Amino acid sequence: MSRKASGLKAWALQRLTAIYIGLFSLYLLLVLLFAAPGGYIEWKAWLGGSLVSVAMLLYVLSVLMHAWIGVRDVLIDYIHPIAIRAALLGVVGLSLVAMGLWAAQALILVRLA
Amino acid sequence: MKFLVSRYNPESDASPYMQAFDVEVSRGMMLRDALLEIKRQDESFAFRHSCGEGVCGSDGVNVNGTNKLACITPISELKEPIEIRPFPGRPIIRDLVVDMTQFYQQYKAVKPWLVRNDPMPEQEILQSPQDRDKLDGLYECIMCGCCSTACPSFWWNPEKFHGPQALLTAWRFLADSRDQATDERLDALEGPYKLFRCHTIMNCVEVCPKGLNPTKAIGHIKNLMLKNAV
Repeated sequence: MSRKASGLKAWALQRLTAIYIGLFSLYLLLVLLFAAPGGYIEWKAWLGGSLVSVAMLLYVLSVLMHAWIGVRDVLIDYIHPIAIRAALLGVVGLSLVAMGLWAAQALILVRLA
Repeated sequence: MKFLVSRYNPESDASPYMQAFDVEVSRGMMLRDALLEIKRQDESFAFRHSCGEGVCGSDGVNVNGTNKLACITPISELKEPIEIRPFPGRPIIRDLVVDMTQFYQQYKAVKPWLVRNDPMPEQEILQSPQDRDKLDGLYECIMCGCCSTACPSFWWNPEKFHGPQALLTAWRFLADSRDQATDERLDALEGPYKLFRCHTIMNCVEVCPKGLNPTKAIGHIKNLMLKNAV
């Protein structure tokens, strides 16, 4: 994110992702409450559906972006030595990317299987 | 009535300490009157004050954990013992007197004046009553500093974050139909610090002695920025 865009863009993105996270979380909750997949086969069929898998991928991406903006805000607020802040941002950023890749891998495997 | 007052003389004290005073309270007494009485008891005690009626904004202090204007705070509203401290997060010059330099620098940074590109008219710049109404709740700020020094974001980044007072002022000029520097003002507020350190904590709204709402003003700025960006 460029220096110039890191104010408004981050703020707007945080709100946009929050809306999607809220809506999809509600959908997930309703599915798990009222139409929970009975077993592994059903679960795979549900998650492997093209609409659900793309929506789930978008959900994971939204959670990661939302988390990145939030954690970045906390670090900007409290961690002032620039080397420590950069190191922490790096650790958080790489962890989030790793989680995203892991989730994407799982979703792709479900689609392929 | 028992008062605990923060004392600090940088020339002789290693750190601030609380000193107890006993003040006889009378009906309708304001906190400023009690501070003046404390000064009568100990003339080395220092605090700022001037008009005594909530207009000049000089006597902002932290009372029982909340920033208030001493001159318009009735003693009867306060819980005993009344603990009086300087504004949090500001360097202490002496006792309750703090260094507000950064607060004024942030105010200056938002260009708190009308910017006109058109040639100035012969007489006044006209404004409709409706446009004038948009400045209500903004122009009344007396710059006492209660809000900005109650703001955690301003505590952590006072050199970079404008703080609620300066941002209220920024919106006061953005909202003014006579101002012609909307784009420049919005561009100047971009980046993660000046405006976007505000996390809607709303301490500013809670403490403002004039009942103003800097959080709402900040929301208006963000919305206008978004509107102009998409």
